[in-house]
Amino acid sequence: MSSLFPLIEGSARMWKTLTYFVALPGVGVSTLNVFLKHHGEEERPEFITYPHLRIRSKPFPWGDGNHTLFHNPHVNSLPIGHEDE
Amino acid sequence: MTHQTHSYHMVNPSPWPLTGALSAFLMTSGLIMWFHFNSLILLALSLLTNTLTMYQWWRDIVRESTFQGHHTPTVQKGLRYGMILFILSEALFFMGFFWAFYHSSLAPTPELGGSWPPTGIHPLNPLEVPLLNTSVLLASGVSITWAHHSLMEGNRKHTLQALLITIMLGLYFTLLQASEYYETSFTISDGIYGSTFFVATGFHGLHVIIGSTFLIVCFMRQLTFHFTSNHHFGFEAAAWYWHFVDVVWLFLYISIYWWGS
Repeated sequence: MSSLFPLIEGSARMWKTLTYFVALPGVGVSTLNVFLKHHGEEERPEFITYPHLRIRSKPFPWGDGNHTLFHNPHVNSLPIGHEDE
Repeated sequence: MTHQTHSYHMVNPSPWPLTGALSAFLMTSGLIMWFHFNSLILLALSLLTNTLTMYQWWRDIVRESTFQGHHTPTVQKGLRYGMILFILSEALFFMGFFWAFYHSSLAPTPELGGSWPPTGIHPLNPLEVPLLNTSVLLASGVSITWAHHSLMEGNRKHTLQALLITIMLGLYFTLLQASEYYETSFTISDGIYGSTFFVATGFHGLHVIIGSTFLIVCFMRQLTFHFTSNHHFGFEAAAWYWHFVDVVWLFLYISIYWWGS
């Protein structure tokens, strides 16, 4: 249908251009930035039993009640220390 | 007098408001049963009945409008007011969590080490994944605008293409955030930092998922020719909601990820 008559204002064309030449390349560059920076982030900070962190006022209603929902044994410690040490 | 002489829609009796209210009650009771009595049955039932209510209620609205023609300009105006007011209520909802964040972070207590971020917290680098997330949502704002203009200009193929790009970007954001949640060294139980971070970004993520779902519904409706070039309020409502989600992210990024690091 759009090939039968010229675009009335052509504004869709502008947004299409912006999408393919600005927006998506911006996402590409940011993705590359993350990918490149990601190499060399392996050591984890020393574990100290701060009382204001790893709070357990009440057990979580899942599992053993001691792990947060997105618990990652490699980077998250439990109140008594890292699990995998 | 067998036809209406006004432009409003007198909706036929419907069971969905009742089932919706009942499912909400079941949900709150279900959460109590889960948290305090280790039982998931009520919660599961509430999620089922809630989903069924939403599906059937909105399906009926599509039937009344697209197929039965009840959505006159007057009716549409009312829907516009409604969507705007709803988004406004959501904005106020998020403002509460921003209030909590600023309250805690502007004057960090001695228990936290008198600093923000608190002692022992290693915040995420705002120039890595969070920046990528920002570019993803901003890009999706551009693509959804392309979709809208294509729709208004009657270009079916481009509308579908642009909507698809928007949806993919939304999904990309969700995946990135989920990965971030798994990889951060701090958790929700890490004091007020963890609470404010995960509750604010968590509710935002939920809204991204809701917005993406809304966009997918629009995509399917566009596939089946529901929208016309000058009557497509469902699409506009989805676009408004999506822009709102984007704006909330920008505030989150600047406040919590950038200033708060």
